[in-house]
Amino acid sequence: MAEVRPDEISAILRKQLSGFENEMDVYDVGTVLQVGDGIARVYGLSKVMASELVEFPNDVFGMVLNLDEDSVGCVLFGESTLVKEGDMVKRTKRVASMPVGEAMLGRVITPLGKPIDGKGDIQTEKYSPIERKALGVVQRQPVKEALQTGITAIDAMIPIGRGQRELIIGDRQTGKTAIAIDTIINQKTTHTAEAKSLGINPVFCIYVAIGQKSSTVAQVVAKLQESGAMEYTTVIAATASDPAPLQFIAPYSGATLGEYFRDSGRHALVIYDDLSKQAAAYRELSLLLRRPPGREAYPGDVFYLHSRLLERASKLSDELGGGSLTALPIIETQQGDVSAYIPTNVISITDGQIYLLGSLFNAGIRPAIDVGISVSRVGGNAQIKAMRKVAGTLKLDLAQYRELESFAKFGSDLDKSTQRTLAKGARLVELLKQGQYAPAPIEKQVVSIYLGTNGYLDSIDISDVKRFEKEVLEYIEVKYNSIFETIKKEKQISDETNAAIKKAADEFLSVFKKNA
Amino acid sequence: MTDHKVSLRYATSLLDSSIERKNLDTVIKDMEFVFSILHREKELAIALKSPVIKPKTKSSILSDIFQTRISEETMNFILFVVNKNREDLLLNISKKFLELKDEYLGILNIEISAPYDFSDDQKELIKKKFENTFNKIILMTFVINKDLIGGFVAKVTDTMYDASVKHQLELLRKQFLHGNVSLN
Repeated sequence: MAEVRPDEISAILRKQLSGFENEMDVYDVGTVLQVGDGIARVYGLSKVMASELVEFPNDVFGMVLNLDEDSVGCVLFGESTLVKEGDMVKRTKRVASMPVGEAMLGRVITPLGKPIDGKGDIQTEKYSPIERKALGVVQRQPVKEALQTGITAIDAMIPIGRGQRELIIGDRQTGKTAIAIDTIINQKTTHTAEAKSLGINPVFCIYVAIGQKSSTVAQVVAKLQESGAMEYTTVIAATASDPAPLQFIAPYSGATLGEYFRDSGRHALVIYDDLSKQAAAYRELSLLLRRPPGREAYPGDVFYLHSRLLERASKLSDELGGGSLTALPIIETQQGDVSAYIPTNVISITDGQIYLLGSLFNAGIRPAIDVGISVSRVGGNAQIKAMRKVAGTLKLDLAQYRELESFAKFGSDLDKSTQRTLAKGARLVELLKQGQYAPAPIEKQVVSIYLGTNGYLDSIDISDVKRFEKEVLEYIEVKYNSIFETIKKEKQISDETNAAIKKAADEFLSVFKKNA
Repeated sequence: MTDHKVSLRYATSLLDSSIERKNLDTVIKDMEFVFSILHREKELAIALKSPVIKPKTKSSILSDIFQTRISEETMNFILFVVNKNREDLLLNISKKFLELKDEYLGILNIEISAPYDFSDDQKELIKKKFENTFNKIILMTFVINKDLIGGFVAKVTDTMYDASVKHQLELLRKQFLHGNVSLN
């Protein structure tokens, strides 16, 4: 074994200590007057800034939220049992901020940027403030690139663009998180060399879990790892056992990390799961800070709470690098009540919503998207031409189907055209069903919907629709792969492609019918 | 929380009126006396706080103690405070008053803690240094605190000037834990 001399060790120690300055340290302090429920009232700290980070003993940090005449109200980011009355509080002279950088990818962190996945320190160089003002009008440009979710129903009818804010709303157990996770998994295709050659820029993902069970978060992380999506994803977790202040700032941390990618000309997707729990956490600390309660006991600025967060999603102008930050906030409703306070607020802030229905979910229509009231206000600009062309009549067909469906229940005799509409609608609904963790690439989505809207499914049994879709796509992939390639490259359906799809579909349909 | 606001309001008005009547020096002396008595006699403070004792009794207790020892203006002020049912805040009011008059007269109170007693020369040196920095009349109080190990800590309102060995060691601990640390 190599010998280590004692003087060598002391030399190393001395070297470590030599950089240590021996000067007078000047800092501002205050005294804790009152502490409890994650809130501390502090006397002193006379020059402290709003939302500044302050340091309590035992390495507990807090954030200043209330600046009163005689005291300062702080929220604690750690155990409030570690703080006593009379303790000294120190200013840090920086507003609450978190480390940002590439090294965050693949990690699970707290809203303050500390790793909680047991993989060691995160080496970052930059700190960014958690609360940042959203960009102005000049720095932005309209949303124009598509963010493919891999879910046919969404990409066809409720397209999401890069830089958009699309709300996912629904009762508990309707598959809200599933849509978000599928979207993250689907971004894997944007990180491939093929995507690069097609001019599709990679999308970095941030999943913010607010007030969820730690087991659920662990499940999500495991699923992302399994599908290889963790490489370009950061999970920010403020679970149900974390103090309310951490749950309150978690989405802002997510936005800060997303802005880091956006500002360096890249694309980021951030999912806030879910904002109704964040609003509840904010309500808790507002009431503890004795701010007056308003409707449903939420404080007066609960609208601003969400609007300033979602306003940070943006598509930058080309001068600023053209990066984007897409936000997918999630809201959980109670008994399908979208007219409650928080849901209406967030619906009005976002650029559209995906509404999930429990009844559809239970009827086996998954994803359980209610096409009638789900919209995307950015819409068509964020779709490739091919998809816009084939999906044009889809929404209309489904709307007509739903309208007639309620009449058809009476069992009266129906005329031919009504029967046709009903048959087509039922097949389209079947076509839009999709399994979890099985995102479909855009070219296959286009062909599937083409078949649906052009009547190729009308002669097939409803129970066979999914099988037909699967087999026809395999058939085309093997025999006419050029169809997929051209759609991917040209992003539109030319007359030749149209003819090619028709030919392939007719061929396969006859084979399929023969075997049936 | 409201205590602070109320005390500040009473103390400000006493300061303003004494400046107006040009009897600030007497009032300061009176209030220093009141503060020292209330600060020292815990039983008196308890009696003033007690809701069982009637305001009349309280004012007669306070008159008996202070009548002959302080000026008439200050005595009237004390009786006025009792009349307004704020007698339990008398200690806070007197404390706030003394703070406000320091501010008015340009006096800065500095509390210096050190693990050992300073020599008079050293005290003079520290005082000079602070006088030059703040351009104010400096009043210093010295506290002995063995925990600091060495050096000293000066507390000027909310700001600490920390040159203690204890703080240096704490910074050193953080440096070893996190790799680097900078002075505030």
